[in-house]
Amino acid sequence: MRKILQLIFFLFLVGISANAQQKNVVGRDIGQLKDLKIGGRIIDQITGEPLVGATITVRELTQTEITSTNGTFNLVLDRAEYTLEIRYVGYETVLYPFVAVGDGRISLTMIQEDFTLDDVVIYGRDPEKNIRSTDMGAISISMNTLRELPPFLGEVDIIRSIATLPGVSQVGEASSGLNVRGGGADQNLIMFAGAPIYNPSHLFGLFTAFNPDVVNDFTLYKAIIPTKYGGRGSSILDITPKSGSLTNWGGDLMVGTVSGKIGFNGPVIKDKVSAKVGVRGSYINWLLGSLNNADLRTSQANFNDVNGILYGEINDNHNVTYSFYRSYDDFALASDTTISWTNMSHTLSYQGRFSEKFSVNAIGFSTLYDFTIFNQSGINNFDLNSGIIDNGLRLNFTYALSERNRITFGGDTKNLTINPGELIPGVVNGESTILPQLVQSEYARESGLYLQHELELGEKFGFSYGMRYDMYQYYGPRTVREYAPNLPLNAGNVIGERTYGDGELIQSYDGWGPRASIRYSIDSRTSIKGGYNKMYQFIHLISNTATIAPTDIWKLSDRFLKPQIVDQYSLGIYKNFRGNIFETSVEVYYKDIQNVVEYKDGAKLLLQNNLETEIIPGEGRAYGVEVYAKKNLGRITGWASYTYSRTFRRVITPFEEEIINDGEWYPANFDKPHDLTLIGNYKMASNVSLSATFSYSTGRPVTFPEAKFDFAGNSLAFFRNRNLQRIPDFHRLDLSLNFQLKGKGKFYDGDWTFAVMNVYGRKNPFSIFFADQPGSPPQAYRLAILGVPLPTLSYSMKF
Amino acid sequence: MNMLKRLIYILLIIPISCIDPYKIDIPQGTQLLTVDGFITTDPGPHLIRLTRSDTYGSVFEGLIRPVTRATVGIRDSEGNVTFLDELANDGVYATPAGFRARVGISYSLQINLQTGKSYTSLPERVESVPQIDSLSYKSIKFNTNDRLTDIIGVQVFAHFTDPSDQANFYYWRNGTSTFVLVANPELYTLPPNHPENPRGPAPKDCCAICFVDDESRIQRFTLASDENFNGLSQRLPVLFIEDNGLRFRQTYRAEIQQMAISSEAHRFLSLIEQQTNLTGSVFDNPPASIRGNIISLDDPDETVLGYFIAGSVDKKNVYIENNKLEFRQTPGIIPDDCLTVSGARLNPPADWNP
Repeated sequence: MRKILQLIFFLFLVGISANAQQKNVVGRDIGQLKDLKIGGRIIDQITGEPLVGATITVRELTQTEITSTNGTFNLVLDRAEYTLEIRYVGYETVLYPFVAVGDGRISLTMIQEDFTLDDVVIYGRDPEKNIRSTDMGAISISMNTLRELPPFLGEVDIIRSIATLPGVSQVGEASSGLNVRGGGADQNLIMFAGAPIYNPSHLFGLFTAFNPDVVNDFTLYKAIIPTKYGGRGSSILDITPKSGSLTNWGGDLMVGTVSGKIGFNGPVIKDKVSAKVGVRGSYINWLLGSLNNADLRTSQANFNDVNGILYGEINDNHNVTYSFYRSYDDFALASDTTISWTNMSHTLSYQGRFSEKFSVNAIGFSTLYDFTIFNQSGINNFDLNSGIIDNGLRLNFTYALSERNRITFGGDTKNLTINPGELIPGVVNGESTILPQLVQSEYARESGLYLQHELELGEKFGFSYGMRYDMYQYYGPRTVREYAPNLPLNAGNVIGERTYGDGELIQSYDGWGPRASIRYSIDSRTSIKGGYNKMYQFIHLISNTATIAPTDIWKLSDRFLKPQIVDQYSLGIYKNFRGNIFETSVEVYYKDIQNVVEYKDGAKLLLQNNLETEIIPGEGRAYGVEVYAKKNLGRITGWASYTYSRTFRRVITPFEEEIINDGEWYPANFDKPHDLTLIGNYKMASNVSLSATFSYSTGRPVTFPEAKFDFAGNSLAFFRNRNLQRIPDFHRLDLSLNFQLKGKGKFYDGDWTFAVMNVYGRKNPFSIFFADQPGSPPQAYRLAILGVPLPTLSYSMKF
Repeated sequence: MNMLKRLIYILLIIPISCIDPYKIDIPQGTQLLTVDGFITTDPGPHLIRLTRSDTYGSVFEGLIRPVTRATVGIRDSEGNVTFLDELANDGVYATPAGFRARVGISYSLQINLQTGKSYTSLPERVESVPQIDSLSYKSIKFNTNDRLTDIIGVQVFAHFTDPSDQANFYYWRNGTSTFVLVANPELYTLPPNHPENPRGPAPKDCCAICFVDDESRIQRFTLASDENFNGLSQRLPVLFIEDNGLRFRQTYRAEIQQMAISSEAHRFLSLIEQQTNLTGSVFDNPPASIRGNIISLDDPDETVLGYFIAGSVDKKNVYIENNKLEFRQTPGIIPDDCLTVSGARLNPPADWNP
């Protein structure tokens, strides 16, 4: 139904633009008035193939013809003005106004809505959405688009592909965190089927922990975030899983160089309930186990993830989805210390349409994140556990007054429990040589209420505005230190402690978050949009590393650590060319961030009961220009994105020893002013395609030593001001060649992808560090994650 | 199949990371006064070294220069001032004979430079140190980025009991280490430019066994604080000695100094430890500014590097016998008289008692 509404709306728009065009004259005018014979042919604009079975409707006569096997049709008309409407599944509908004056021929071309034709049609991609909607900085990518990118180690990767979009960057080659418009890696809410995921990486970020085969599409909101989302400062990444087929069973299989996966889907009850299961695992362990080197043989690097989706249709208007997700990693080098982490989430969602106007969406989720270090070195053995439990509910109502006037409202609430760390001593030779430690758990409830109104006034104006009210409560049980007033927060200035009981409120925060955007269309292909956005964030990633590392600690806002508040202003111009074949946009933004976390020198973060003594609140600001051009159709597709952006931090406190860089603005760890990505996919033949990704970015900031000094037999570097120098620029080219080999029942039947990452073998520094090592003078060293061209081969098939 | 595995292995593991020296332009370093000094409850003499920092980089740029002809004194909390003597003109100032730090007393270092500028350290209180009950050792081996060479060496463990009634901060370093240097004078050959018999065998009678002190440029240390083990008896790895092929051919003696230091000194040294452990990986902490406890009396904004540490010490020797080691590096051969090695002598140290 929605699809039809969209189609009608689309036709309406097209109709408006078509009416303005000049009428075509068909036929040789010999004064004939009746029974003019008009023949025609419909072909695909890109491939030139005739389209068989396209419908041609003469609007004025409500007469419909279907094209024959060679794409032709015949009409018999009277001398008059007509409008032909040509429709074909998966293609943009074409309107052809003309004046028939005699016998003649018409040749028309149609364009596919997307080059690949399967899923796209199902969820109704609207080719002009970027122009017409009031959304800003919202980018949706279907898995079909993603599959055309060069794979990373044999697989397409969601997080990595997002990093190719304008305004999104990553710290380095092996980091899973995203930095969106100058925000920290913790400022992105990553949701899978509606449940937040805290560590979406495998192997420390070499892979994303989402199996692309179970993902339908994902949307990144980086500018004007809809009011139904809250709780994070910079962006929302909403990943929607794919449900199984309601009609027949099928499956897919992929084998790559380091991992493989298999999936099944099909109807449990035909046309009512479907199931989909996807399992992915690595076989690095098997490779390591077969090596001669004893240390590598006892090393392990293991990851897997499992997805299950049950989808049930109550009737056409009501459906229920259950989604299960679990990802697991363990990693050990030379066997004595194992690092392991698990994400697990359950989501139950209900979607109901009670009338043409009113629909409801309810989601309940439960997320668990566990992180453990096992130390079996024989010296002070221990287990260090930490974890997060996040359980929540979301209720969203949509009331459509009309197709162009829609109200969304609802609320959400969630309970968060964080266990920041528990040290369990191991027993060596019958005794334990270290003390157990337990950092106090944290409890909080985060809730929000929201309303949003989207309205279009005529063709020119669109508005979207709303308000979100965020509430946050931090509860006991907890013992909180009290510090002497007007002195730095450190152990020496503690004047007392207060113990809060179970469920006793320790601190609460709340705030109004207005969001608004306006769209002005210059014409049907061009629009200008502007907007403002305010976000609150009550959870912080306490990480004294440049990127997300599994050892990072999540921390809730408490009395000392105030919520991060982000104000963002955006302005953009959007233009499509050549029947939406080309999409272009230019966006600018400015952001103010309050209460970002910075660290004291040598901060101790692990097993720290009083983190307030190790961190300093700072402020941030970020601004940038994003230029984006995309070619949607044709033998060559792809996009180019260029971002110029800066992001800065400033720390001013009344206490001299806590001031960073003399209280001046300094670049944040992930400030990379120039960022260019070029992505292209070339269909060499119907079953062979070549794709390439080139990326370039300014090197990220590092701190160079100001001086060298000697102390206690060590040559040391003296660092004073942070982040004032940069590592060399980053650039890399990846290529992949994809063959679809046909051969029913043969072993080679399926998709073969051969890819080379880092084609010209650049040693892009991940970091520059300074060390004094035996055998050489104290000097700078470069760590490159990918130092040579890295080829991979993968094979996938459907069954 | 094996070949395929090897190929995959090469494709996968090797490129995952590579570390190499990297040439960058580091700005001209400032010349900051640096204080490097310990006083302990040992008889001494204790040395305070004054230098000026310089540009970070290769040995050729940024030579660390001594600060000579300064007046250096140590004031204790009872009001006594002890002046130190600069023995050679090398910026190293030594405490006089008989001076030793006492437990429970605070000490501060005072410096007057030739330029007229004066500096002082914040007072450091000497805390008592638990005794080392015993030392043990174990041979260990671990792999490096270079898969052809494993690092093999000896890990020395200190056994002690942490007192439960106080917060303790530990610092271990090694004193002078001595080992038996085994040479093969019978394998001596004439030099290649010998007029009659180039490279001809010319066995020497002496000497196969010498004693030599082990000196390395970089001095590693170990830190601990008892917040993880307050009141428990401990066995902690305190020193790693890499087998370079010569050290463990017979007997190696290491002196372990276990010191109790202040919490501030511990924090300072842990910043140093953090810096010396940087690997450039995603887990690295960003570089921290290592500030010490020395302040300028003339200009409060002047940065002075280094730390004046006062602590109590307990020492013990461990004799490491090569026949008790599980892993050994390929022995290094010295085909000559062992006395040709610099610092080598025939007689063991006076207290040599394996």
